[in-house]
Amino acid sequence: MTLAQDPHLPTSAVAGDETTISTSGNGQAILYLVGPGVASKREISLGEDIHLPSRELQNAGRYVVSVCSDACRSGSFYVAAAEPASLTFLVHPSRVPVGLSDAISGVALPFDPFHNLVRVPMAITFQLTSGKTAMMSRSVQTQDGVAWFRTSSGKDAGVLHVVAAVDELSARRAVQQVASEPCNLRIKGQRTPKAILVETEPVRDCSGNPVPDGTIVTFTAAEADGKSTVDAPIKQGVARAQIIVTKAAVISAASGVVMGNELRLGAQP
Amino acid sequence: MRFALPILLVAVTVGLIAAALFGVGQAGGTVGIAAGSALPGLTPNAGTPEQALANLFTDLQRRNWNRAFAALSKTSGVDEPSFIQDWAGANGSLRTFSNLEGYDSRPLHATSDDAQVRVRLHWATPVGPVEDVRDFHLTHEGDGWKVVWPKVEAPTVPAQVVPVTYLRWDLISGGAEDGWGSRNVDSPHVRIISMNAVESAEGSVVMGEVVNEDTIPAFVNVNAALVDGSGNAIDDESSFDKIAHVLLPKQVSPYRIDFPNINLKNVKNVRMDVKATLVPASADPVIGVMDQKLDPDVQGKSVLHGELLNQSGQTVNIPHVIASFYDSNGKVVWVADGYVDRSLLPQTSEPFAVEIPRTLAGKVQTFHVVVNQYSLGKS
Amino acid sequence: MIGYIKSHVVRWVVPLAAVMTVLLLGSYDLRGADPTVQVRFDASKAGPRVVESLTEERILRDYRFAWTSLTQAMEYNTLDPLEGPFVGTAKQWLAQTVVSQRQTGLRSQYTQQNHTLEAVFYAPEGDVIELHDTAEYHLQVLDGDKEIHNEQVIVRYVVLMTPAADRWVIRQMQAVPQF
Repeated sequence: MTLAQDPHLPTSAVAGDETTISTSGNGQAILYLVGPGVASKREISLGEDIHLPSRELQNAGRYVVSVCSDACRSGSFYVAAAEPASLTFLVHPSRVPVGLSDAISGVALPFDPFHNLVRVPMAITFQLTSGKTAMMSRSVQTQDGVAWFRTSSGKDAGVLHVVAAVDELSARRAVQQVASEPCNLRIKGQRTPKAILVETEPVRDCSGNPVPDGTIVTFTAAEADGKSTVDAPIKQGVARAQIIVTKAAVISAASGVVMGNELRLGAQP
Repeated sequence: MRFALPILLVAVTVGLIAAALFGVGQAGGTVGIAAGSALPGLTPNAGTPEQALANLFTDLQRRNWNRAFAALSKTSGVDEPSFIQDWAGANGSLRTFSNLEGYDSRPLHATSDDAQVRVRLHWATPVGPVEDVRDFHLTHEGDGWKVVWPKVEAPTVPAQVVPVTYLRWDLISGGAEDGWGSRNVDSPHVRIISMNAVESAEGSVVMGEVVNEDTIPAFVNVNAALVDGSGNAIDDESSFDKIAHVLLPKQVSPYRIDFPNINLKNVKNVRMDVKATLVPASADPVIGVMDQKLDPDVQGKSVLHGELLNQSGQTVNIPHVIASFYDSNGKVVWVADGYVDRSLLPQTSEPFAVEIPRTLAGKVQTFHVVVNQYSLGKS
Repeated sequence: MIGYIKSHVVRWVVPLAAVMTVLLLGSYDLRGADPTVQVRFDASKAGPRVVESLTEERILRDYRFAWTSLTQAMEYNTLDPLEGPFVGTAKQWLAQTVVSQRQTGLRSQYTQQNHTLEAVFYAPEGDVIELHDTAEYHLQVLDGDKEIHNEQVIVRYVVLMTPAADRWVIRQMQAVPQF
């Protein structure tokens, strides 16, 4: 049994493709293959081509081949990623106030069917659509397997659809565009037999977008010797609360850092 | 001689049993329920107001409602069902899960015919020990003293339909087979807006306020780690139940983190960490906090009290009040909480009270109250 | 009396010393090959987001720890070290390698490691960083006790790391012929 020279390895191999190793010499030997996700050994006949099946070469990376008879001879080769089969698409934030510059960003990474990062440069198209309005469409070349974009949020509240596409592949994400801080929080009150019913006018941001339902508006009735408060959520654009006030009181409202107008009420007759 | 030891043991045992049976309420000013009668018919006569209260509490603790009600004064303005509901609670309130552990009593005044006794009741509850101070009026009737149980004003809600604009948030998450990046819904954005560390009688306390700056509800927990001069962690704790965990958008909650038996002098640094996660949530019920006042109570302690008003159409089983107290500079100087042991029926109100330490009473200028709520069958 | 004490001391010290020696030798043997992993990290060219200094420290720490764990896993064919520093595809590949090595009786030793790490992309929101690692190490592959491969080699890795709850983890680690 003699091993005349190092095994002849492929100069290029692609993930998921089978390949062939040739050896010289004669007699029996053992072939070892150690690479990402694989460590195998098998008996081979020297001088014959050795077939490496595709299942052993699915992961991109460096593979070491050793052929041992009386001595061992080694070599290595690289397996590159195959054609892209999926896109990992990271988009942030999930919720963004309207009219904010450079507020939305996305990163796309193409992967082949075996989850190898595809590093060959390719053009990825990013498209942002709000309702039926196309907000942005940009083609970005991947560099080291990554393409990214950054853009401003739109003017209108609602769902923003963000799509990354390459050839027939696409990945889709949703960003919720929400109103900014309330603008001009205004309240009005109405006496009922038991209490004062206070409510806001429709709460909107300065661009006219309705502030999201659920946002807390704190109503405060300050009397001479105490106060009453209600944390009321905005529902269908309006926050409502009933406050029991028998004496003269000043009723005000606040949401986050925004203060509303004041209502001054005399004592209940 | 060989019978001496068994006879002695029997005698001591009988003596101890007798002492236990007849010794109820004989300890003077502070009387414990645990010393009550174990056998019917052996309850001592209520020869003193304290003895009458001890007998009543023994029966109530054993849920011996008939005997307890029979021991009340005829002048009591209460029927038996109302009396039982007043004591044992209803509608899944905190009181329905509570047991009387003991009490301390102090006579306020006494004549030969009537007496006033202030009782501090110690309740064991699922949220920890709760204390309740009540004044009892007793009268001398026949050959003993009887407790006059006050008329109970149980809230009643007329049958009605309360329209509710129901608002809730659901979360769509990807399936298990989805890959990296496909389930990236950002966590809610919450922020600690104030933090203050103080020394208290029990140890160190870290407190402040946290706000949900996002547009969706957040489940929030605040953690603090105390660090010594060498940079080593002394202890870390979380806000546990001293925070409103579910915060709606723009809602502010006080938080308090207790470090028992840790001297603040040994603390060089406090590391704060706020965790917020997405949760499905509902915007109801809305609970108003009416008539908030900071006054001294009957014992001279500074107490913030007021009324919780349930503005929704659902019963709140266990209301929980958390309050932050500010000094003249707007700095949070204390955070206190308290559970209300009555359930809050729709459209009704219940009083609440939270106490602040005497040492801080002079500093407090303003306060902010939030209401947490636990409802049976809801998370 | 002194003689009694001496004999007692000798009687206890000798076995104690023997036990300590065995323990020390044992621990040395468990460590196996030199586990030192040298990593130099340059994050200055990363973009579009600038790598914060604290993040840089954490990544350096966690990348070094990941290679220490990988080295142990490959040498002792154990999966435990892979829990934590690796997730996703990287963890899956390394676990497959360990399982295959167990089945075939192989093991791999990575020694004298020097990693020159460079950040080439850091996502705008900081949720992924791409690193280029020029790793120089000594690789020895053994079948039982028989050496079947031995080389001093420079391997280039494209690495994707993502932040986890308390550390940065390797999600993808792919050797490439050139950057």
